This record gives sequence, structure tokens and C-alpha cells, in this order.
Amino acid sequence: MPSHAGTPLIEATGLNRVYHRPRTSLTRPGAAVHALRDVSLTIRRGERFGIVGESGSGKSTLLRLLCALDRPTSGSIRFDGQEVSGRPERRLRFLRENLQIVFQDPMSSLDPRMRVRDLVAEPLVALGLPAGDRVSELLAEVGLPPEAADRYPHQFSGGQRQRIAIARALAPRPKVLVADEPVSALDVSVRGQILNLLADLVDELGLTLVFVSHDLSVVRHVCETVAVMSAGEIVETGPVDDVWEAPAHPYTQELLRAVPTLEGLW
Amino acid sequence: MSDPVSTLRVEGLTVRAESLELVREVSFTIAPGERVGLIGESGSGKSLTALSLMGLLPEAVTASGTARLGDRDLVGVPENRVKDLRGRDVSMVFQEPMTALNPLMRVGAQVAEVMTLHGTPRHEARERAVAMLERVRLPEPGQVARAYPHQLSGGQRQRVMLAIALANGPGLLICDEPTTALDVTVQKQMLELIAEVAPALLFITHDLAVVASVCERVLVMYGGRVVESGPIREVFTRPRHRYTEGLLAASKLTPRGTRLPTVQGSVPSAGQFPDGCVFRNRCPHATPTCETAPALTGDGHAFACWHPAD
Repeated sequence: MPSHAGTPLIEATGLNRVYHRPRTSLTRPGAAVHALRDVSLTIRRGERFGIVGESGSGKSTLLRLLCALDRPTSGSIRFDGQEVSGRPERRLRFLRENLQIVFQDPMSSLDPRMRVRDLVAEPLVALGLPAGDRVSELLAEVGLPPEAADRYPHQFSGGQRQRIAIARALAPRPKVLVADEPVSALDVSVRGQILNLLADLVDELGLTLVFVSHDLSVVRHVCETVAVMSAGEIVETGPVDDVWEAPAHPYTQELLRAVPTLEGLW
Repeated sequence: MSDPVSTLRVEGLTVRAESLELVREVSFTIAPGERVGLIGESGSGKSLTALSLMGLLPEAVTASGTARLGDRDLVGVPENRVKDLRGRDVSMVFQEPMTALNPLMRVGAQVAEVMTLHGTPRHEARERAVAMLERVRLPEPGQVARAYPHQLSGGQRQRVMLAIALANGPGLLICDEPTTALDVTVQKQMLELIAEVAPALLFITHDLAVVASVCERVLVMYGGRVVESGPIREVFTRPRHRYTEGLLAASKLTPRGTRLPTVQGSVPSAGQFPDGCVFRNRCPHATPTCETAPALTGDGHAFACWHPAD
């Protein structure tokens, strides 16, 4: 772990995001939807930070803001001390180099017409960095054979495609890996492989992990800290074991009760 | 209402697409009131099994073997006879309610449609549609009946699907991943509802915890075959087939910082499964014996494995 571990890396303060529904009347504006209400959080260097919530909870909106794919209506996001929100894309290079994303569905996040070599090298090309042997190095890192570089995404299984997506995210040697439901589209027998791989990579490369999931039990396996979101707000945050053992907020309690488990059988 | 003593008996069900055998020799029974889970990963043949019972296989895909619900044949009968059974004796709830419902039709009319198609007079069907929406516990069913699918939430839409499926009082309800697209809190209510209203249930899912909360008996499919079957508690606490064992181990999330147990490799695509035991190329216990296909043997708790777990 790097020596500056534990210092804040991502700091969000008072984030609000309001969307406007399309207008339904000529005289009145469309209804406002508060997707995020006054959300603040701090993610420290080397931390594995989980964000849990159901659909409509605002977790995807929060993620888009943290990745500067959208702008907050108000509030600020600082990455490594630099303000992110409100900057034009050309001044976000520091963020693009240091924060990369793995999306939920590798079927739609990988361009079917590109070979794996080009897919994995794409962030390097976009940032103007030399590719060199980086692609084969990355494929080895995620457990894919070197021949994989010449093939297309459809020639791989779901789990292998997610490995390709992870290799692509790691290409520019980011400090932060954001994983948005990375295992929810995968079969159970493959899920463990991807979660183990993520854990290994985070350890070896000293990454900070932001892990978004609807499943608190997966977050508990992966993360140290969790923020539980509901209706656009963070309703509870803290060490994941504390939240798991003694959920304080009624919504977290309900969420934990609703998750079907096999525990009762053993 | 259909005959209450209509046990589903499936024997030697095989599904082929040209030369590819996608489902092989699947046999099981479901008694009235029984809730049976069919679990397996993507590509295991579980959805094809369900679709062949519904007579909904794609064109180039054919089913052989027998499946009888009471005294009515479901497999190998011409479409004009299957269409009398589908939606009346056997009905199905699909995974994605947004694509299964007609976006241009009010939901009440969609519930009524399945009844008029099977001979219920129009006005009666309209009244019963509202009653069905109430039965699946939609609040203010009269209003919901006048809504279009896009005006409802995912959970509400799936309840409408269930109302449609139950409208003619079928003898068998098939649910194919009915809650995969839903949030966990909504999923819980939906599962409770399904368990309560199903006349006899074939519940398809990849989620072991979900199947354990709904069903009494389970069939585990892999590579188009049933590799293990039995009472759910027994199969899940004492799995015999190595695939079931691996699947259960992989479903348990161990504490942070530990390695998750995994099943090596990935599910092969159709036609790429090995001869003999379908799991042998991923099985840590495979020996040359496994080149011969093991039969599904055992009373109550059955499994098809040469080197079963204790």
C-alpha cells in the first residue's frame, strides 16, 4: 500500500442533481426530479468504497458525477485536491488518466466491431499515451491468453468479456477503479473469478476501488466502507461490517431483510 | 378451471436445433400444489425446457419426448391444439415485463384478452380482469386496469404479468426468472405472492437463494441435462453432483480478504460440452470413467455423477 494511504482522494460536498422532466403543458415547465440531495462523501486512498442502493436511489447519478460524465446542479467534487465539477472536458485529463470505469454489462460496453487489442488500447490512444507492449501485459494481468488480442468480444464468454473491460480500465494505470455492478450480469460460477481478480488487482496495484452494487452481501465481501443510498440521499455510511451487523437506518434494515440468503439452510 | 388433479409428467424431453442437442433426456414430475425450482447458469437449457412445455420453441428448434399435464399432451402436438392449452392450462411469466406486455394496450384489456381468447364473454372478462389485478395485490385495481404499462413500476408490471398468467386458472404456472429485473425489496414481495398463488409451479432461476425461498424441490441443469434433483434442503445442504457442489460453494460470499471459491473455466457454448459427463472438463474430480455419461440415479435425491461428493 502506498505511503500516503488514508488521505482523502475523492471528496464530494453537498452534491445536488436536479433533472427536469419534459414539459407536459405549454405554460408550465416540466416537473423537477431531485436525483441527488445534498450528498457528501470522502473516499480515501487505497480504500475499497461500496455504494449500495436500488434502482432510482441515485447511485448511478452519483457515479456519473464522480466520473465527471455529468455535472452537479450544485456542490463540489475534488479529486486529489483538484476541483472536478464545472471543468470543461479538455481540462479533465488528470481525472481521465487516474479514474477508469468498468461497467455492468460487458456486452454493451465493448464495441462489437473492435478487436480486443484496439479495445484495450483505446484509453491510451484517447490520452495520447504510447501503447507498446501494454496490451499483452494487461491481458496477462487479467488472466487472458495473448491470442485474445486478435479476437472480437462476441468470441468470449461473459466472464472473459468482463476481464477485457477490466484490462481496458487499467490501461492508463489509474489510481481509482470505479466498478458499476461489475458482476450482476455474470453467472454465479464465474462471479467469484471476477471478484477475486478485482481484489488481487486492487492489492497489487494499490488501487482505490469504488464499487457500486445493489447487493450488500457482495459489497461486504469486497469493500471496507459502504454508503447506502435511498431516494437520492446517503441514508447510512460507515464500515461495512458495522452496517451489516447493526444497520441503523430503517431502509438499510429493510434492504438486509429482503436479500434472499442460503444462510438459513446451513 | 382446469382439472385439479393435473400432474405434470415430463419424460425424456429432448430439444434439438438441427444437429445440436440442446436439452437431453429431461424427466421430472410436478404434482398439483408443488413448487419445483429449475436452476442452472445461462446456456444450461432451462429456458428451452420451459419453452418446449409452452409450445413456444423458435422455428428451427424441435422437441421430442413426452410432457403431459393431466391427460393433455404438451409436446409433439400441432400448434392449433397447443394454442388451446397455452394461457389456459399452462401459462408463463417472463423475465422482462416491459417487453412481454403490449405498450399500446391498457393493462386491464391485456388481462381480459387472455380470457376472451379462451372463450369468456367480453363483459365478464373485463370484470374478472379487475378481480385478477386485485388478487395479485395491486392497490386500486380499477385504476390500474386503465393504466398503460409504462405508467406502472417494474414490480407492478410483473404483477400484471402474473394476473394474466393466472386469469384462466391454469394447472401449471411457469416463471422464468420473474424477479431478476426487480429490486430486492420488490423481489421479496413478488416471490411471496408467487409461492402463494401458484397452482403448481416450475420456477426457473440462476439464483440459488431465490429458489431456496420459493421451492420445495429443485432440479439442477447443466449442459442441457438434469445433473441432480431432490428436496431443496437436501440438495443444498448435501449436494452430490460436483457441479451443484461448486455452484453452492461459489454462491457463498466468504469474509473480506479471503478467496472466493470458484468453478474453473466457464460454461461452454451450445454443442461445445464434452461427451460423457457434461461437467468433466471443469470438474476437479474427473477421471477417464467420466468419458461415459453417468445416469441420473437415486430415489428422491438423484444425481448423475461417477465421483459424487459425500
